[in-house]
Amino acid sequence: MGESQVNTETKAYEPKIAAFLCNWCSYAGADLAGVGRFQYPATIRTIRVPCSGRINPLYILKAMANGADGVLVSGCHPGDCHYMSGNYVARRKFALIDSLLKHVGLEEGRVNFSWVSAAEGVRFAEVVKGVTERVAALGPNTGVFKVDGGGTDE
Amino acid sequence: MNSIIDDIRAAARQLLADGKVDVVIGYEKGSLPLKSTPCFLRSPQDADKLIWDETCENNLATYAATTAGKKAIIAKGCDSRALMVLLQENQLVRDDLYIIGVSCPGVIDKNKIEAETGEIIEATITDGKVSVKGILCDKEYNFTDVKDAYCQTCRYPNPVLVDLKIGGTVEAPQSDFSDVLALENNSAEERKAYFKEQMSKCIRCYACRNACPMCYCQECFVDCNAPKWLTGGVDTAENLLFQTGRALHLAGRCVECGACSRACPQGVDIRALSRKVNKDVKEMYNHESGISEDIKPALNVYSADDPEEFLVKE
Amino acid sequence: MKISKEKFGQSFDALTAEYQVVAPVSEAGAVNFKAAKSFSEVKQDYLNSKLPPKSLLFPQHEKLLSYVKDGKDITVKNELKVGKTVLFGIRPCDAKAMLLLDKVFKNDQYRDPYYFDRRDNTVIVGLACNKIAPTCFCSSMGISPACSEGSDLLLIDLGDSYNVEVITEKGKDLLAGLGELAELSAEEQAIVDTVKSAQTTSKVDVSTITAKLDKMFDNSYWDTLHEKCLGCNACSFSCPTCHCFDISEEVTKNEGSRVRTWDACMAPLFTLHGSGHNPRDKKKTRWRQRMMHKFNYFVHNNGDIACVGCGRCIKGCPVNMDIRQAIDGVNKAEVVVD
Repeated sequence: MGESQVNTETKAYEPKIAAFLCNWCSYAGADLAGVGRFQYPATIRTIRVPCSGRINPLYILKAMANGADGVLVSGCHPGDCHYMSGNYVARRKFALIDSLLKHVGLEEGRVNFSWVSAAEGVRFAEVVKGVTERVAALGPNTGVFKVDGGGTDE
Repeated sequence: MNSIIDDIRAAARQLLADGKVDVVIGYEKGSLPLKSTPCFLRSPQDADKLIWDETCENNLATYAATTAGKKAIIAKGCDSRALMVLLQENQLVRDDLYIIGVSCPGVIDKNKIEAETGEIIEATITDGKVSVKGILCDKEYNFTDVKDAYCQTCRYPNPVLVDLKIGGTVEAPQSDFSDVLALENNSAEERKAYFKEQMSKCIRCYACRNACPMCYCQECFVDCNAPKWLTGGVDTAENLLFQTGRALHLAGRCVECGACSRACPQGVDIRALSRKVNKDVKEMYNHESGISEDIKPALNVYSADDPEEFLVKE
Repeated sequence: MKISKEKFGQSFDALTAEYQVVAPVSEAGAVNFKAAKSFSEVKQDYLNSKLPPKSLLFPQHEKLLSYVKDGKDITVKNELKVGKTVLFGIRPCDAKAMLLLDKVFKNDQYRDPYYFDRRDNTVIVGLACNKIAPTCFCSSMGISPACSEGSDLLLIDLGDSYNVEVITEKGKDLLAGLGELAELSAEEQAIVDTVKSAQTTSKVDVSTITAKLDKMFDNSYWDTLHEKCLGCNACSFSCPTCHCFDISEEVTKNEGSRVRTWDACMAPLFTLHGSGHNPRDKKKTRWRQRMMHKFNYFVHNNGDIACVGCGRCIKGCPVNMDIRQAIDGVNKAEVVVD
């Protein structure tokens, strides 16, 4: 758990990023990137959710506790939510989560949020590239939420 | 304070005698100096047990939903806000409540005193002065110097929802979020170290969660096995997961009564987290929980131009 | 006989090379038992630790064993780590509590190696109480501020030296390496006599409580006792005799571990069965359980009341549930005699 992932070819550290993508926009955008062969680093592990409003702050915290080096949460652009208002509610939640996590000392850049639509295949690749760069620069997750393997006392 | 307590007792006596309520939830003298304790009175003659002073630190709204029958509750400013939020969230029926509102000058932070005097043997509060005889030393304090930290930044000392108001009003102290700003101005590394130190004290007894009127989930995320959010390990990482998880679950709902911090047997600075979230809610959405029946909870509404500073640059 | 604190401190520091020395240390605003590297770290003049020292032998979260599965092969590893330990500065109430925990973790059929392997490798140096807090009531619970039960060596603070008393062979062996002993002066003897005859000022009467509780299972006293309780674990976790635990598995794919964590009968889900049935789903039944277990069941099963009068639950309870008042309440409760 949490050992450095090293790319066998480039020998560079590759972070593990948990990516929560909403089904209707961001996940479709990721799919479009795949279909269109727009390359992006193979660092994200996608988790499809019906809507960004489904995101429970605990998903983000637990992903890091389990060893994810970074998190990406992505939904539809405000106004375009498949369920009308899911991402509006999510927007408020994300703002508060982002602010509190920074406050407790989590490095800026570990947790990332974006709005990516189903048509934005190229942009999705750009987003993942950017997130990967930022998370890789921070190094492996040894930070505030990472459970130190087993959690025994002392 | 004297006439206030007489009025509270008279009101409680009358309500019970007339059968208007089944139980009065209030405060009585505790078994320790400078400590009151919640009481549940069911007969009019017990009304004389009720007290009202700077030791009335528990948020009695916690008991509202779990106490059967029609209940009268003694409510300070923050407690009445808690009742308002519970009503907004459909956890209480308005007709089951009889709110006896009393304006509050704040409650005492016993831990602050005992850090200097050692365990308190005897203490009295008269005219804003707290005289303490402790195991290590005796000391006299101005109440304002040993007021609970939450009370020092309280914006709503006067109850917002009452069936009966007793006593006068209290002027809200001038308050801003300078306590949060002070932490924000530290570097991320300093904050990380601060919270790690605080989390090293937490023993996950959940006194904070249970003292909070807003934590009423049938199954709290800490008890959930599928998925299992917490392993039960008390390392600082998991403790922080619990505390930030709880703080975020209270976003837009916390009324800053301070019951959580005071309930903590270990003195964890829970306030540092809740005040940060409340500052964000106030600044981003101009919202304070439980101050008016017309204002919906902050995370139940949205606007087209909510801030989105958190977005990636790409 | 006495040993100067200076000599004792030097021996203490030397001990840390061979033993893990756990002592009361002030950290983050509270005194708790932690590993110390030097006598200078030890908090002098403290009443008692915030949390009881039981976590030394019975940690709050403990990996019992771990396993790795590789195809059909499973390797199991015992995670118990035992080292020689000296527990210094434990108060008589907490030392007695260890004896009570001993009865839980060992019986005719089973000896808990996780608790006992540690226990057998720990020397307990008790420190009698010079000051008594208003919430202490150990004298009512069959011990006293200078009781030696559970200690291997008992020290009494004389100011710049400690009065030393050997209680067990283990203690004698440790003392041999601590340094030269000297005779007490008359004033010092007077201090020893005062400390040894001290009693706690807060009193409760538990002389008939077990017998009374035998008849009280359906008593109406339980109907109101629990009302203000929040159902948190503050009392159980700060109690030196509370010992309930949960065992769970932490598994990811092909590796995992079995862990034991503290649990508390005050928690609503403590008795939740896999079927969904919960025999103690009401606070009333949980508070009855707390009182019955400590003052009745434990007496019948193990011959002792499971409370040592340390007062931590009283100080720690957010709503001021006071076990002394509960004891009084039981004593005063009306029992219908058939």
